[in-house]
Amino acid sequence: MITLTDFLVVSAVLFCIGLYMIVSKRNAIQILIGIELILNAAILNLVAFGKYDKVNNSGQIFALFAIVLAAATTAVALAIILNVYRRYKTIDPNDINKLRD
Amino acid sequence: MTLVRVLFYFLSFIAIVSALYAASSKNLVRSIFVFFVTLFALAGLYVLALADFVAVTQIVIYVGGILVLILFAFMLSGKETLNVIKQQNSRIISLKTLPAILLAALFFIVLLNVVLKADADNLPWIRESISLKNEITPNAIMIDNIGVNLMTRYLLPFEAISILLLMALVGAAHLSRKEGKA
Amino acid sequence: MEDFLHSIQILNYTVAAVALPLLAALINFCLPAKSKAAGWISTGAILLSCILSAKVFAGVWNNHEVHAQHLWFTIGKTEVFAGVLLNNLSVLMLLLVSVIALPVHIYSTAYMKNDDRYNRYFTYLSFFCFSMLALVVVDSLVLFYAFWELVGFSSYLLIGFWFTRDKAVQANKKAFIMNRVGDIGLLTAIIILFAQYHTFDIVQLFAEKGLIAQSIINNGLWVGPTGQIPALWQYVACGGIFLAVAAKSAQFPLHTWLPDAMEGPTSVSALIHAATMVAAGVFLLGRVYPMFTETELTVLAVIGCFTAFMAATIALTQNDLKRILAYSTISQLGFMILAMGVGAYASSLFHLATHAFFKCLLFLVAGIVIHQMQHIKDDNELDIDPQDISHMGGLRKKLPLTFIVAIIGALALVGLPLTSGYLSKDGILIQAFDWSENRSGWFKIIPIMALLTSWLTTFYVARLIFKVFFGEFRLLKSNPDIKLHINDGSWQYKLPLVLLAVCCLFPLFSLNPFSFEHAWLFKGLKSANFVESESIYHTFIPIVVNVLSLFVLYAVYAIYARPNSFAFPQSGFLYRLSYNQWYIDDIYKRFIVKPVLRLGSVCFWIDRRVIDGFVHLLAHVSGYIAKLSAWADQHIVDGFLHLLTRIVQRIGNFARKFQSGKVQYYLFSMLVIVLLLFVLKILI
Repeated sequence: MITLTDFLVVSAVLFCIGLYMIVSKRNAIQILIGIELILNAAILNLVAFGKYDKVNNSGQIFALFAIVLAAATTAVALAIILNVYRRYKTIDPNDINKLRD
Repeated sequence: MTLVRVLFYFLSFIAIVSALYAASSKNLVRSIFVFFVTLFALAGLYVLALADFVAVTQIVIYVGGILVLILFAFMLSGKETLNVIKQQNSRIISLKTLPAILLAALFFIVLLNVVLKADADNLPWIRESISLKNEITPNAIMIDNIGVNLMTRYLLPFEAISILLLMALVGAAHLSRKEGKA
Repeated sequence: MEDFLHSIQILNYTVAAVALPLLAALINFCLPAKSKAAGWISTGAILLSCILSAKVFAGVWNNHEVHAQHLWFTIGKTEVFAGVLLNNLSVLMLLLVSVIALPVHIYSTAYMKNDDRYNRYFTYLSFFCFSMLALVVVDSLVLFYAFWELVGFSSYLLIGFWFTRDKAVQANKKAFIMNRVGDIGLLTAIIILFAQYHTFDIVQLFAEKGLIAQSIINNGLWVGPTGQIPALWQYVACGGIFLAVAAKSAQFPLHTWLPDAMEGPTSVSALIHAATMVAAGVFLLGRVYPMFTETELTVLAVIGCFTAFMAATIALTQNDLKRILAYSTISQLGFMILAMGVGAYASSLFHLATHAFFKCLLFLVAGIVIHQMQHIKDDNELDIDPQDISHMGGLRKKLPLTFIVAIIGALALVGLPLTSGYLSKDGILIQAFDWSENRSGWFKIIPIMALLTSWLTTFYVARLIFKVFFGEFRLLKSNPDIKLHINDGSWQYKLPLVLLAVCCLFPLFSLNPFSFEHAWLFKGLKSANFVESESIYHTFIPIVVNVLSLFVLYAVYAIYARPNSFAFPQSGFLYRLSYNQWYIDDIYKRFIVKPVLRLGSVCFWIDRRVIDGFVHLLAHVSGYIAKLSAWADQHIVDGFLHLLTRIVQRIGNFARKFQSGKVQYYLFSMLVIVLLLFVLKILI
């Protein structure tokens, strides 16, 4: 039987990898991938815990919500990345350190 | 060692390794495509966690939606992005990434520590749930229940999410339109 | 009531007479430097003063005294009054000063007309007249002292009038310092009198039944109506007054300033150093006369006699015209002091008045002569001293009027009958002999020396006259081709001479030309207890004096007026003693001036080395302290501040690094902090 702890460890690993990507990557799209990884780690946890809620299915439903939100987030983020690229001709977040025009 | 368990380890292994590769790869295209694999593996893990509906949604939305979107963005951002990235240092553990690796490792240790300390399998509410037979069994069909719950108990969040999704899509479309024509 | 109104009127006249010259001085002070109006303003003022003085004189002389005063200031319970006291003595002096000043003013308008500081001269002259007139009428010793000082000060200004000449500067410095000695004496005396009697009022102090008259010296104590102090103080006070008199009236040992004071303009010498200011000393004696005891009067007589004799002997050999007259003045002042000393109070003041006229006259004559000699010198560009009588001679033809009035003045000075000098001088001689009559043998020396002095006077006066006006013009002999354009001068010269010459004759003073006792002036001043003695001296003395004087005159004429005459040897001890003015100046120089200068240089050295050194040391020390504190300021205080700023800068820079605008870095930092929190949570 797969225990909860197993799932949690896997999600922790994924979370840390996502963290690493967010902090170290010089490419906005890769950072976005990192964010997706973290989200997936969270969804995995939700799903794993949702196994013990047969009636309300809160874990699974919120996993669904999270997936949908991630999609929305990604869409907006990509739109932003495209705009940034148009303006700065780069998607390295380190080079984009000005709020003004 | 049951088949399920083997399958779990296998899928976990694939997910973690592919994620690591995506993290370490300098090539954005590779990174994106390996991320596909991670997502598929994760979908498998959801199935193993007895959440087949979520797994399907994952594949549909992530693989079918998000990844395509990312690929589009990548392709739209042009060649220069690739060039810039290629000039970077090719070593995995460079002086610049070392702090990030250290940070992630430390975080992992902390999280592991927390997970082990929490001893999630013996949490009171989980024990109670097991004892009350409130646990999803592999042969139970949960889709009906999810649908009912979405439309009853979680109607308000559902609607809010749908509006948010709409707004996000409109916003994304607005942001990504060509400038100067507005 | 009428008396009262009369007094008020007289007081008003007096105040006006005193204040007019001051007003003139103030106006002149504001005028431009070469304004010719100055002379006439001053002369007008003094003319008015003169008229007013005459009115006052007419009102007060041999009439009742006028004394008015009001409260001046109060210190504690002591009230000090200021006021005017008019008695015979003061109105005589008032009239004398203004009458003498008038011709001198007229004379000065011509004499000084080419001077660059014409108006300043008249400012000083009017100021002097004001001081002197005020001096004679005030009734308080404090005011008296103030005007005494002012008289000395204006004299100082006038002696040094030509302050570009070094000799004039030296002379006025000398006069000033000598007068300071006397001033200190007077001040001491005033303080002692105040300590004894608690008043400055001259009337209260020196009136006939005043405080002084009621005091006696008893067993070494000076007992007065208001208290007693040791008798020593009385001697000190009299000594102080004597010093004051000696300084102002040029008595031995403070006489040396007067000959030097001749550096001033001659008109000034005539007014101040012959007629009025030097009389201030005698006037002071007259004011405080009751204070002197018998012994002190004897001392006065001795000193007066000695001064008279000494000055006469010095005058014998001097060649400077004005210097001769200056020593003659000293000598005559000595006579006055002698007269005071022998109790001939009235004769003394009588002589003061007559002497003022003829000495003033002689000085004006000298002024004309010097003026003309200066003309000759300037016209012919000669290098001579215009005051040296050895260049002169035979001027009687060139300056006829001057010659005549000079003769009159000289005769008056000699004291031949029909002149005013005869009246006053013989009075002094006779009373001196009377005085010695009642005393032991040694006192006979005084009248005999006075007698001798009067013959010496005859000699030097005659020498002066003969050398200047008779014989040949010696300058012509040494410089045959010089041109002579000299005359008596304008009416501004002539008028004063004639006026004064008239005043030198006997009728102004007495209708009887042979008896001083019939002079109205003498009668007005003599004390009530004067007894007309009918001693042998009254007939004997005048005859002896005058006969011998005539002999002396002839001898002098023989010596100086005749060509190829006999010349005195000029190498004898007596000659040198006389020529060098008894070496008194040298003695002063050696025993007073030099030690004082040495003391001064020692003080200067001490000041320079010790005090300044100390100050410099302090300066250095404080300089070092300042440097130290500057260093401390720079390195410790500023260093601390710099350290602070550096720390703040470092912190700022350090903090700034986090604000790089790099999103990933922010996130990284945040995560690190979260981690740290975890670690802390685990550790705690």
